[in-house]
Amino acid sequence: MASITIEIDGNIVNAKAGERLITITDREGISVPRFCYHKKLSVSTSCRMCLVDIEGVTKPQTACSTPVSDGMKIHTQNEKAKASQKAVMEFLLINHPLDCPICDQGGECELQDVAVEYGSDVSRFSEGKRVVAPSDIGPLIQTDMTRCIHCTRCVRFGSEIAGIMEMGGTGRGEDLKIEPFLAEGITSELSGNMIDVCPVGALTSKPFRYELRSWQMASADSVARHDLVGSNLYAQTYKGLVKRVVSGDNELVNETWISDRDRFSYEGLAHENRLLLPQIKVEGQWKEVEWNVALDFAIKGLNKNALNSRKAHKLGGLASSTATTEEFYLMQKMLREIGCENIDYRLNVNNLDDPIHLDSNIKLSDLECVDNVLVIGANLRLEQPMINLRLRKAQLAGASVSALNVKAFDYNHKTNHSTVSPNEIATILAGALKVILEKNSLEAPSYITNINPSELSINLADKLLDSERSVIVLGEHVINNTQAASIAQMVAEIAKQVNGKTLNLTSSANTLGAQYAHFLPKSKGMNTNEMLAADMSAFLLLDIYPEYDFHHSNSAVEALSKDDVFVVSLNSFNNELVAQYSDVLLPMAAMYETSGSHVNINHDMQSFAAAVKAPEEAKPAWKILKVIADLLELPGFHYENVTQVSEELKHQKIYEHKQDITIDLGKKSSAIETIWMHSAYHSDALLRHAKSLSSSKIGQTNSASMNTATAKELSLECGNTYLGVPVVVSDTVADRCVFVSSNQSTDMGRES
Amino acid sequence: MNEVCFKNIDKDQCWSLETYEASGGYSTWRKILKGEYTPDEIINELKTSGLRGRGGAGFPTGLKWSFMPRNAQGQKYVICNSDEGEPGTCKDRDILRFNPHSVIEGMAIGSFVMNATIGYNYIRGEFMEPFNRFEGALKEAYAAGLLGKNINASEVSFDLYSHLGAGAYIVGEETALLESLEGKKGQPRFKPPFPANVGLYGKPTTINNTESFASVPEIMSKGGQWFADLGVENSGGTKLFSVSGHVNNPANFEVSMGMPFSELLELAGGMRNGAKLKAVIPGGSSTPVLTAEVAMGMTMDYDGIEKAGSMLGAGSVIIMDESTCMVKALTRLAHFYYDESCGQCTPCREGTGWLYRVLKRIMDGKGKAEDIDLLMSVQEKIMGNTICALGDAAAMPVESFLRNFREEFEYYIEHGKSMVEK
Repeated sequence: MASITIEIDGNIVNAKAGERLITITDREGISVPRFCYHKKLSVSTSCRMCLVDIEGVTKPQTACSTPVSDGMKIHTQNEKAKASQKAVMEFLLINHPLDCPICDQGGECELQDVAVEYGSDVSRFSEGKRVVAPSDIGPLIQTDMTRCIHCTRCVRFGSEIAGIMEMGGTGRGEDLKIEPFLAEGITSELSGNMIDVCPVGALTSKPFRYELRSWQMASADSVARHDLVGSNLYAQTYKGLVKRVVSGDNELVNETWISDRDRFSYEGLAHENRLLLPQIKVEGQWKEVEWNVALDFAIKGLNKNALNSRKAHKLGGLASSTATTEEFYLMQKMLREIGCENIDYRLNVNNLDDPIHLDSNIKLSDLECVDNVLVIGANLRLEQPMINLRLRKAQLAGASVSALNVKAFDYNHKTNHSTVSPNEIATILAGALKVILEKNSLEAPSYITNINPSELSINLADKLLDSERSVIVLGEHVINNTQAASIAQMVAEIAKQVNGKTLNLTSSANTLGAQYAHFLPKSKGMNTNEMLAADMSAFLLLDIYPEYDFHHSNSAVEALSKDDVFVVSLNSFNNELVAQYSDVLLPMAAMYETSGSHVNINHDMQSFAAAVKAPEEAKPAWKILKVIADLLELPGFHYENVTQVSEELKHQKIYEHKQDITIDLGKKSSAIETIWMHSAYHSDALLRHAKSLSSSKIGQTNSASMNTATAKELSLECGNTYLGVPVVVSDTVADRCVFVSSNQSTDMGRES
Repeated sequence: MNEVCFKNIDKDQCWSLETYEASGGYSTWRKILKGEYTPDEIINELKTSGLRGRGGAGFPTGLKWSFMPRNAQGQKYVICNSDEGEPGTCKDRDILRFNPHSVIEGMAIGSFVMNATIGYNYIRGEFMEPFNRFEGALKEAYAAGLLGKNINASEVSFDLYSHLGAGAYIVGEETALLESLEGKKGQPRFKPPFPANVGLYGKPTTINNTESFASVPEIMSKGGQWFADLGVENSGGTKLFSVSGHVNNPANFEVSMGMPFSELLELAGGMRNGAKLKAVIPGGSSTPVLTAEVAMGMTMDYDGIEKAGSMLGAGSVIIMDESTCMVKALTRLAHFYYDESCGQCTPCREGTGWLYRVLKRIMDGKGKAEDIDLLMSVQEKIMGNTICALGDAAAMPVESFLRNFREEFEYYIEHGKSMVEK
């Protein structure tokens, strides 16, 4: 675009030809009032609040839609502009309730703010005001549609960003109502953003309703830790409690959106099930004690069972992937200092002998620029909402998206779904790789010489070869595939051959932080599964809830419950099984209560400070770990704050326990394949305790989907349960496969 | 009289292809198919004719057609706006009923000029009979090999479809019509971009009124100058006036532009029961009302009506005699705009309801002295501030009724009853 100069309110301003006027005034800090305009949504011009006067144009023009041209003279404040702006303001207010003191948006309302400057002291409107019946659109968003000013930001958010047009305008004229089209209300995984974009009190946070005024709260920058994105957000606090979470801006990470998971998980912090006091088990009875007593008890137990008798190799350290990078770092440093190499965060992987190795080598912001996407084993919308949002943008811009999944999941963008059994994925990829190698005139490795590429393989290969910016996304459903490692290896090879990128979504939360902190067994150490199978004498566990976190939850509980195993557990929530196998319970801070960092898929280490203090006696885990190290009289733990830990670890290179893999495409199981996923709002302890999320449609998800033939083979029908989960018969599922999405624990599930 | 769109109106089966062709219909289109015209020749002829958009805005048709990027890549569309909904207007309905082939040929000629191979005629939802007539004419034209792909083995293709609306006045606004045609809710788009660049499905699109298209074939066969000479300066040709209200013979009249209003009134049989003329809305309900005195001195052309203080609009002449209560008349008009506002943009959504409610309150005998100034102020605040012209259309009658007949409003407010009606 050509550089031009325009004149705004008498000042010469540089701009690009065709730029929208409002982006220029925003950049220059010139205040132009607006309601419907939102920088991330399409232009609507419907509120008319940004009317300005342009010389030579009879009618006032909306700044949000007017493209500028050289020499244009604009007045944002002259009599004509002001008259239009004030006229619109008056119209907006005539039917709007003027009861700001009882409106939940009061104090953070765009209408209220703009009315101060453009409104009148007295209303000239003496007719009856419009009243709109409220509608219940779900547990997350409170509606008060009498307050709606019809800016349609929520409607445009739904259709343009969330990819599901749940809100719309029905009726016309004064009867125009913004409401959901369907009775089930709003179900999008990104719905909470409608609260943020709503300029008035029409859509507000339901869990936060009538809690507080915005000015009563402090606001802390923070980072979400439920997925690999690490969305930037603000935790708003009052008297030591997180009362609300709103989105933050970061173009490289989450733009200006956050998922509902990140927005509403804070509710779990105030759950009555928090672990609040240190406890020790004496003669089988739990006893609440002071911290020093609990820590002494823990140290004595660890010394007795593992350290004094030179049995550090019989000690195991396991942590949940939601831990901070600093917690991972301190815990492994302490364990290694005492000679223990049994360190792992991979709790839910069946086969750790052949682990998945795949780099993520594409930035989040580049995802929307790819021209071809291959997704393998992921229900992207629910599992990785922020990544799906970027990929959807790529698709809308013309990218081709293909998916190899056990089920034709409901993606909100145009996708070529191939429903395939997990058993077939490796062969399909091998076929595609063979086609690609042949096209590149390269010799195929021995394991694929006998492969006869299927039509699907050829099709996928052609798309990858035809594209310039491909990305292959490997999802969480693959982690327990019997050929997981081979699949990952072939994905890497295919990407290399087509100059594409890879995105490894096989694990989540702060997994990369764990890898940077070297929270993995090195040479002689045991991995999770080996530890649970070995004759161990002690464990140090960080925020683990066995029935959800372990792949083999029953055998894990059994191993940890052995009489001669001393278990020290740091937890943020109470848990019966943890109480069963532990000897000491140390209450730890949850998300927002601790300082630290999260490494996201961009490999950015994003630091955050605690927004609130942990409740009662709960302490940040990094402090607990440091004190344990001190009590063990280990050197090198003289940290005064968590930043010193971050400084120490930030130069570390990512550590992966790589080993050569022999690709064996014959390794298939003949049993019916089950993929078990927690519902999107049950993937970590905080989420499971967030009540509003749990009662939402996504949170209620609990189904074992299978096709008619599989149901027949298993003698099941709708109304029955499979592994304790209600059966749903759907022919969108691959043959002889079951896809479980459950909000239940897995103790009944995976053990079958 | 009746020289262009209505030239066959007195013939039997005047809507048939046979009648149309017998009077020289499709001769221009057949010449085009034989390659005897260039688009520029047609545009020049139209420019000479002085034909201006008959939907209400009065934009020169030849100029509009010349704006279309005919050489742009991709599909282009030509659209006829037959969503005739302005209160007082019923001319397009009769063109569709009595001369549908002139619309088809006019659109076909337009499609050739604009290099658009697909056309749509968007017909008002209530127009069942006109719709069926037009559909019938389309069938005839296809059967006669006048439409389709590579017509008569030429390189010219034109497929024409009719589309029945769903009963919204606002869809007469061309960009709302595009939205509706695309299957969306009929709400106007902001401009720019204009339909000539970003129109139906985002493609270059020309939209003209039914009467404009219907005038084109006759202009082409008899020449632009012939048409221009029928009218007066700045208002070439003839115009259909829909005369309604307190006259003896309310009807559509195709007369030369520039005819004195008094003559048009005579054509319509004069005032009903010999009553005295009180007021005239000359161009459809959205154009300013004129007093009898001003109207009687006015000529029926763009400049003449503008000089009188109103607009020619769609040529919908509403005649009101002395028995008319202007408060009641305006309240009815205000209700129409309140009811038909799409609700998209603030001033119209909120302002039309406000205007109507204040007027209704006055009608209910609860008017306040300051209501007149309030009404004036509210219409002023709607005027010019909306996405489309419906805002202005709602405001203009209020302004002109209050300006010209203020004493009736004052009387109603003071006495709680009409000054006119007993």
